[in-house]
Amino acid sequence: MSLLGRALPTAYLRLAAGVVVFMFALAAFGGLIAPRNPLAQGAGDAFAGSSWAHPLGTDFLGRDTLSRLITGARPSLLSAAVAVAIGLLGGAIPGMASVFLARRVEYVLMRAVDALMTIPPIIFAIAVVAGFGNGLDQAVIAIGILLVPRFFRIVRAETLTFASAQYVEAATLLGASKTDVLRRHVWRKVLPTLAVISASTMGYAVLGISGLAFLGLGELAPAASWGSMLSTDLTYLYQAPWAAIWPGLAIFVTVWALNALSDSVHRGAPLSGRAAAVEPASPEEEEELTERARVPQYV
Amino acid sequence: MAVLALSLRQGRISAPFRWLGAEILRFVPVVLLSTLITFGITALAPDDTAAQIAGQGGTPAQIAAINHRLGLDRSFPDRYASWLWHALHGNLGVSYFTQIPVTASIEQRFPVDLSIALFALLFSVVGGVVGGLLAATHPGGLLDRSITALGSIALAIPEFWLAILLVIFLAVKIRLFPATGYVTTSSSLVDWARHLVLASVTLAAPVAAVIARQLRISTLNELDENYVTGVLVRGFSGRRILFKHVLRNSAAPAVATIGISMPSLLGGAVIAETVFALPGVGQLAIDSAQAHDIPVIQGILLVTIGVVLLSNLTVDALLGWLRPGVRRS
Repeated sequence: MSLLGRALPTAYLRLAAGVVVFMFALAAFGGLIAPRNPLAQGAGDAFAGSSWAHPLGTDFLGRDTLSRLITGARPSLLSAAVAVAIGLLGGAIPGMASVFLARRVEYVLMRAVDALMTIPPIIFAIAVVAGFGNGLDQAVIAIGILLVPRFFRIVRAETLTFASAQYVEAATLLGASKTDVLRRHVWRKVLPTLAVISASTMGYAVLGISGLAFLGLGELAPAASWGSMLSTDLTYLYQAPWAAIWPGLAIFVTVWALNALSDSVHRGAPLSGRAAAVEPASPEEEEELTERARVPQYV
Repeated sequence: MAVLALSLRQGRISAPFRWLGAEILRFVPVVLLSTLITFGITALAPDDTAAQIAGQGGTPAQIAAINHRLGLDRSFPDRYASWLWHALHGNLGVSYFTQIPVTASIEQRFPVDLSIALFALLFSVVGGVVGGLLAATHPGGLLDRSITALGSIALAIPEFWLAILLVIFLAVKIRLFPATGYVTTSSSLVDWARHLVLASVTLAAPVAAVIARQLRISTLNELDENYVTGVLVRGFSGRRILFKHVLRNSAAPAVATIGISMPSLLGGAVIAETVFALPGVGQLAIDSAQAHDIPVIQGILLVTIGVVLLSNLTVDALLGWLRPGVRRS
């Protein structure tokens, strides 16, 4: 079996991987392949239907919907990726460290994560915007902070499992320090899980950030992001009910593909040999781990 | 706190109180930290409110006076302590600009969001339980696969988009539900519910999907247990076993999900109310954010966090009742 066949055993997964690659390609090169200027207002043909010039029609200012969709990929995906990076750094490192630190520190870290989990995401983002002004940076940071608990909890659970393994005990008896254990035995084993959570979390971040853009927070007009496109489409829902389909579809397909990829690993179809090496302590624990990760934390 | 922790460890408190004590030990720091976050992100931000209130011709002396009146010239711990103290007594301050007490604005609008969230909770529990049990009792079948597929769609669909689609199809095309607007409970209970259905269904979709998933897996695992074969052999009906024995054991992860989902439901209500033009706290929050009206934002965050904490307590109690063995103590 080819490498690709082994990594993506079913057509379903290959489709998901294809979608992810395609969307990231759009994010990287979208500006080059967009057929028209996404900001150019073709006065006169607002709300035009599908035509050769505008395959997906135009919006209320006569701007080309297809070009706006294509260039919208970058702000939508890039900001989500930054939010995930914030969640990853802020969650995974303390999550791993919490197992090895003094109990008092561990307690404080865990309560802080509990506290973050009680905050309704959208309202938190609105509050951050209230304090620090409206902009993409503020929205991304707010979403990123709220992704911290997800990474913290899963990485901590994984670390607990690995850190109590017998070979770790043996290494400790042989004089390995906590940092040795962390670096040599835990870090590498947590990595595959981290990759998997990052994929599904990326999906949530896309949803969260487009939700904020939908409310007019974060990505600001006239730049196109999928969420802000939906927001303007809503205003003109009665004039052009079908316009709202496209940006929503772009978000949906991207999130679905990211979820499908990360789910496949949870279900035991490993992406690589290394991922297969991660064995949860018990089936129950695995359920708890994976399902917790799946709880929709976006909006 | 320390005394409480010590007496818990020494087992000097009887069981139900021990549970309550442990919950308090866990919750008090969480409450302190989440209120600190709430207050901190808004209070530590660069603040030119006084200059705004003073207007263009404001002299430095006037600005200083306004700062003093709003208490903005005091130290952060001082401001946080007095804010929390007043909040615990039901006083969230007044809006910087309208002078309306924050509690009054929230009291007027929050019921809308709360009803949306509770309706959504109801829909997601019903949808999730029906879906999860149907899938678990027909593993591998068409029904199971359709429910799983539907679940992964529900998890990936942006809820505001789903809301727009529902408006297009169910409100604009066939006029089954009103597209927008809100009626209070006092005028017509049925109309009130009809105005909230679409918004709640939108929010319920992803939560129902997670509940169904959880319940499917845990029920399948539970059905594999020996005791199930045992009662089956003794001739009890499958339905009776499922509802009387299996469900009680397999419900826990799904119940935990409900607790974790509460923040997203309340946050989602803000988006839903935008689509359906409902007069909830969301629009108030967005307007206040743009006007930099900090007390209003703080109040809204605090109230929603309070609701989340209350629902977490309820869920914990429910979990303790479902699985006495793993009750935290």
